[in-house]
Amino acid sequence: MNIAVETERLTKYFRGDGGKERIVAVDHVNLSVREGEFFGLLGPNGAGKTTLIKMLCTLVIPDEGTARVAGFDIVKDAEKVRECIGWLHGETGGRALYWRLSARDNLRFYAYLQNIPPDIARRRIEALLEFFELSKDADRLVKDFSTGMKMRVMLARTLLSNAPILLMDEPTVGLDATGAIETRRLLQALCRELHKTIVFTTHNIFEAERLCDRIAVMNKGKVVAVDTPMRLSEVTRKYRGVEVRFRGPSEEAVKILEGLDVVKSIMSVQPEEDHTVIRAEVKDEEQALSEIPKAFSSNGLKPIGVQLALPSLEEVFLSLTGGGS
Amino acid sequence: MNRLEILQLFRDEERRSKSGLRQLSAVVWAQLKMMLAYKSWLVMDLLSTFASVVMYYFVGLQVDPLRLSQSGWGTSYLAFSLVGVATSNYLWACLTRLSHSIQHEIRGGTLETIAVTPVNMLVFFIGLTARGYLVSLIYLVGVFTVGVYGLGANLSFNPQSFLIFIVLFMLMLVSNQALGLIAAGIIMVYKRGDPLVFILAAVNEFLAGVLYPLELLKRFPAVQFLSMLFPYTYALDGMRRVLILSASMPDVNVLTDIVVLAVFSLILVPIGLKTLEWGYGRIRREGTTSSY
Repeated sequence: MNIAVETERLTKYFRGDGGKERIVAVDHVNLSVREGEFFGLLGPNGAGKTTLIKMLCTLVIPDEGTARVAGFDIVKDAEKVRECIGWLHGETGGRALYWRLSARDNLRFYAYLQNIPPDIARRRIEALLEFFELSKDADRLVKDFSTGMKMRVMLARTLLSNAPILLMDEPTVGLDATGAIETRRLLQALCRELHKTIVFTTHNIFEAERLCDRIAVMNKGKVVAVDTPMRLSEVTRKYRGVEVRFRGPSEEAVKILEGLDVVKSIMSVQPEEDHTVIRAEVKDEEQALSEIPKAFSSNGLKPIGVQLALPSLEEVFLSLTGGGS
Repeated sequence: MNRLEILQLFRDEERRSKSGLRQLSAVVWAQLKMMLAYKSWLVMDLLSTFASVVMYYFVGLQVDPLRLSQSGWGTSYLAFSLVGVATSNYLWACLTRLSHSIQHEIRGGTLETIAVTPVNMLVFFIGLTARGYLVSLIYLVGVFTVGVYGLGANLSFNPQSFLIFIVLFMLMLVSNQALGLIAAGIIMVYKRGDPLVFILAAVNEFLAGVLYPLELLKRFPAVQFLSMLFPYTYALDGMRRVLILSASMPDVNVLTDIVVLAVFSLILVPIGLKTLEWGYGRIRREGTTSSY
């Protein structure tokens, strides 16, 4: 499989405190994103995610290291890189649009700059305006739009060029719940069906967990872990544990578990909507996975499921970043 | 339009031909559209054009024609001031418009969104000046029309004078725009240079003699020397010789003005382009493409 984005010891310093202090924003980052992959950058504020994305889209020149996007060097072949990318900076909250132009004119302007043939541009603009529910407001000046509407125009603008690589910084920030869900689905479809590579940053851990094939967790400019959400959970767990889901009285279930040699201790008992989840630390996971269902059924209880207790991505994140903000 | 239909649309084959001219026209189109969004501003600008010419007409009534003719510029102060007033807006546009527009793009966050497209940034920067040029053109045509046809200013407009005027005018634009490129490159980096460019334009306008004959500066040699450092001084001199004194080719003074302006252009344009490139590279290195 081809590599869409690759960085090697990519580093960026900024000057702080009136130029006296050198701050490392991105610290010798090595990453490799495959073509067609949905890749997440997760990290607390100031972790270096935005600077990394800005370097990849040629906006910021790195101080050390190299990076290639679609096979082109981000410094030497910056112009070629720009032909292959779509960029969105969601954190601007719609600031990065021409407020004195209508939504349609904003899109038309960017279509011209991207050299999209007029007939294709026209069709795409109308389709994207419709998809993002902007058709009836398309000729209003953007200055009169809400933040969510501006965000939708920005998303449409990013997708307009049909770039094979999308670099997206907080793409769903400012959208309402429905808009965010639809946008996630569209991004997922673009990735799965059109084989687009998406590198995106988010503060939303659940969004990252749901969308990403792989996630890089960044902290203080460094990449502290890169893997699938599932494997990140596996490698960062601090105890051997199982999770038992069942319907019925929890006191009885706890008593059964405590009676088993393989169970060291009960970690938590969490009532859910129609069942209860018990997490228990165990001596041997495989043995626990085989013994617990038997013990339950011999006591007349039928568990809904018994599985390894993996930390959530939120716990992984906190563990890897030391509980960063 | 559902997700599947959108996806289908993006399966289309597309052949893109890179056209700098198309990109330039897009930037100019967007600039003009944004300008036209300020309707009341346009009306006010047209009114102020008319008002300024009328004001110089009345100022001219107070100027002693004899003193003006002693300076060698005929006897009509209105004609004299008209050339300066009509073209000084271009001086301001050349010197200040680009740096102002770039700062506006940086503050708005739009510079970054443009910079990640395949557009040639020089094309974009040139396009940004279009708005100032168009406003100045409206002003120039308005001032000459009101002055010549409304208030009877005696200016020499014939095919030959028009041609020489255009040559001088174009050289004035190129040389002053080069200064504007230098200013823009520096302001892009240091962010807070607007007052400096404003002072540069105001001093330039004053020293070039927009409203008075430069012969008056003979009593102040240092100031007169300073005035010779600005290309606009030579442009104004040449344009006045053509339009007021009906100078025709080969007039030594006009030729000298053309040569000096050409030399200014040849020296300043490469410096301007380099400074702009330096400024843009520097903000990319410093990561301040959206900081202000």
